[in-house]
Amino acid sequence: MSLSLSAPAGTAGRVRAGRLRLTLAPWLLILPSLVLTITIIGYPFYEIVRLSVSDVSRFGLVRGYAGLTNFSTVFADPIFRDALLRTLTWTVGVVGGTIIASVPVALVLRRDFIGRGLARTLIMLPWSISLAMAAIVWLWAFNADYGMINATLQQFGVLRTSVQWMAWPETAFPVEILIGIIVSIPFTSTILLGGLSSIPNEVYEAASIDGARRLQTFRHITLPLLAPFINIAIVLNVISVFNSFPIIWVMTQGGPDNSTHILVTYLYELSFRLGRPGQAAAVSLAMLAIVFTFTFVYLRLRVPEEA
Amino acid sequence: MIPRGTITRRIVRRTAISWLVLSPLLVLALLPFAVMLSTALKPLPEVTAFPPRWLPSRLAWQNFVDMWATVDFGTGLANSLFISLTATLLTILVSVPAGYAVSRLPFRGVGAYRQFLLVTKMLSPILLVLGLFRMAASIHIGDGTLVDTRIIVVVIYAAFNIAFAVWMLAAYFATIPIELEEAAWIDGANRLQSVVRIFLPLSLPAIAVTGIVTFVGSWNEFVVALTMLRDPSRLTLPLKVVNLVAGRYTVEWNQVMAATLLATLPVAVVFAALQRYLVQGLTLGAVK
Amino acid sequence: MSRDLMRPWRRAVLALALCGLAATTPATTPARAETVRVTVSYYSATTGPYFEKMAAEFHAANPGIDVKIEVVNWDSLLQKLRTDVSGGVNSDISILGTRSLLDFVRDGLAEPLDGYMSPEFKNRFIGQFLKPSQIDGKTYGLPIAASARAMFYNKAMLTKAGFPDGPKTWDDVVAAAQKIKAAGSAGFGLMAKGTEVDVYYYYALWSYGGDVVGPDGKAAFDSPAGVKALTLYKSLVDQGLTQDGVTNYTRTDLQELFKQGRVGMIISLPFMINQIAKQAPNLEYGIVPVPTGTVQSTYAVTDSIIMFSNSKVKQAAWKFLDFLFTKQPRIEFTTSEGFLPTTQAELTDPYFTQNTRLKVFVDLLPTAHFAPTVTGWEDTAKAVSDAVQSVYLDKAEPAAALKQAADRANLALGK
Repeated sequence: MSLSLSAPAGTAGRVRAGRLRLTLAPWLLILPSLVLTITIIGYPFYEIVRLSVSDVSRFGLVRGYAGLTNFSTVFADPIFRDALLRTLTWTVGVVGGTIIASVPVALVLRRDFIGRGLARTLIMLPWSISLAMAAIVWLWAFNADYGMINATLQQFGVLRTSVQWMAWPETAFPVEILIGIIVSIPFTSTILLGGLSSIPNEVYEAASIDGARRLQTFRHITLPLLAPFINIAIVLNVISVFNSFPIIWVMTQGGPDNSTHILVTYLYELSFRLGRPGQAAAVSLAMLAIVFTFTFVYLRLRVPEEA
Repeated sequence: MIPRGTITRRIVRRTAISWLVLSPLLVLALLPFAVMLSTALKPLPEVTAFPPRWLPSRLAWQNFVDMWATVDFGTGLANSLFISLTATLLTILVSVPAGYAVSRLPFRGVGAYRQFLLVTKMLSPILLVLGLFRMAASIHIGDGTLVDTRIIVVVIYAAFNIAFAVWMLAAYFATIPIELEEAAWIDGANRLQSVVRIFLPLSLPAIAVTGIVTFVGSWNEFVVALTMLRDPSRLTLPLKVVNLVAGRYTVEWNQVMAATLLATLPVAVVFAALQRYLVQGLTLGAVK
Repeated sequence: MSRDLMRPWRRAVLALALCGLAATTPATTPARAETVRVTVSYYSATTGPYFEKMAAEFHAANPGIDVKIEVVNWDSLLQKLRTDVSGGVNSDISILGTRSLLDFVRDGLAEPLDGYMSPEFKNRFIGQFLKPSQIDGKTYGLPIAASARAMFYNKAMLTKAGFPDGPKTWDDVVAAAQKIKAAGSAGFGLMAKGTEVDVYYYYALWSYGGDVVGPDGKAAFDSPAGVKALTLYKSLVDQGLTQDGVTNYTRTDLQELFKQGRVGMIISLPFMINQIAKQAPNLEYGIVPVPTGTVQSTYAVTDSIIMFSNSKVKQAAWKFLDFLFTKQPRIEFTTSEGFLPTTQAELTDPYFTQNTRLKVFVDLLPTAHFAPTVTGWEDTAKAVSDAVQSVYLDKAEPAAALKQAADRANLALGK
């Protein structure tokens, strides 16, 4: 019986309790979770849908039905369209970078070596800083005049003069992506480490008996067995990175000139800075539609492979 | 761990390579902490000295004291702890039964239930924050509403964490062999007894892992707290720190860094202490 | 602490029960001493303590009225007020940027104060400060904080550049900056990040006789004067006469540079005087009006304190407002925050009569422009800020960028 993360109870048919009690029991057990989620998530969702098709004053007072005006205004807005494209770059950049960096990390941390426990703890550290606070610290580190990044790089002769990192999107956005990757690696490498741990040693022994070289082992044995975990990591990361707000907001607020806006920061600006709740709701729904589509399409494509 | 006396050349080589491969990442992981420490210990004039230096001329421990008073750090810490712990507790209380049901008890709606949870996972709080606020503002309690209460934040965090918690717990629960409980039934125990005496102790690592993830997520969370919490006596640490920086006429970075450092320390300690369970919980998957 | 822990639990049970029924009940307030809730913005570390002190003094004189103060950061103030209003939980009195006042008035949220003000009260104020918060002939806010902008210059740098008394025109600024640049420092400090990016541009706009919004209520900054002003700033950036990376500098960052003595000239607020005295007491500097283009002008800002029309304790709230605008409270507030006086009484205080530095600001008031009171000011401000930033980033030319911004602003103004 191997670890299967998406299979329902493989123990069906072995349960022996009374039928009626059993039919009721699961529903009672999941009832609290249903109540909590439907209330806290369902009602606000309904509100957002309502706002998106209403004419809402900047004070949140609903003034009447507006049909799809909010949507058409938003979709015609060039800032929205740029943000949409940039969100794609952001998500692919951060998730891609995270996965690519996490696989070697997991591979290294799987094998025993001196100080492995320490290494594991240190790698986990970025996870322990609240994202908003991490963004503040990085912002300070990248401060052009007083930040340690410029100071250290200049000391080592990598830079000749201070770089104004946040002044231009060409430097600010990659820095933001890099930070996104750094903070995502702990969680992802944990998942991959778990996945690697589920591969029994016998498999590797068999492979080395058959004379497989390290790279072959990796490509033909490790990677395929790791695939379900990589898929999970991708899905979870995409959902969280797509919605990731603090890094970009703290460092550049989506500027200068909206050149680092992604959908979620633009959403925040519309809701709370520019006072346009109706349009913000429309952007929310657009984002939800994108995430839904991605998740269902991705799972449909990938899940059969896990069987 | 490696038993003494067997440190072979192979292991030494593997150690060297491992640390080498990890080193760029370790530098990046530790950089924020180094920056925090360096700036937090600088006297204010040195913070904006040009060119900047890593080492302060003297260790200005006073910054921490000043910061604690200015920011009312103690209150922020208490709020963060209360909210994160309570949210984690609530999540666990609600998700363990659900995880048990999903992994042990076949029922017709299980597929739909899992789909439903997946959908809630995709509905991130920030997308719904406007709706969440309006919902909280429409429920009147005492002479205010649920806005600016810590309990609404707790409930919101729990609700959004359920999907992941149930998913993770169900996955681990499925790996706990039913045979163990069945053996108890044969010995005459009823279902509840077997769950409490046999199942729960085995599920503790999984619960611990889920608990850690939920706790850290709640501690980290920013946007919902920002929208809901207003009164300084109720702000969590991330809010207090961001307040020091956002929209201020002057920013005292040494205090900001001191605050960030102290705010991160509890979680880092929890992490280091429970890191063993984290790995244990994950490697549980390998147990047959 | 334990009591605090108990109440939320009881509230939680109640709340969840109500959640299930989706019932909303209006709050019934039992009769007790009146409580006036006041929202104030965070200006400095002294703001909170000041208002608490005022609340205590007021309560001592009026035992039946309790005043509760809530301090909020500037950049979340407007959001907080809006969301509180939409939830019906707003305070009774709040500080508000005057430029945001119109929307509150249009939606009937601000209480007209004329009925509460005696003629004596009206006369307390220095003439032009009351005007910005008067809409359609009615007064909706009282000027609680006021500042004007002027140019701070580094005496050593400017003397070496040949302007010992500071620059008077933009040509002077360019000439001085070139000399300062040759000596290895930044000449003119230009900020283009965060709030007030548009305002920094308006300094130049007004100095060429332009305006943000015309008398017809439409955007007017894309006029020739506006284009000239932005072209001037752009050329300063291109010639390296400003600090590098202007889009990386907020107003605060610029202040920091000046205190460090690393930039020759910046345009800033009166509280810089306090800041320099505290953090850079050895810095030799001077204050002159904003450089002239074709006219002399500066930007004056007021923050208003308003009463919400849905307040249930209006008389009590007014009493507190009256108290805040008497001599002692005003002097204490203005001097501790480094603002400009808004009432005549403050002008008699030696702090102002003997302060030559502040005098520069006060003298600028007659020719000062206030931010226009229009609807949806944030949209206009954002449109202009975006345009200005795009020009500095070399993504657009001044004329085209301003035209586009004017179109966007007109959309918002037209609403």
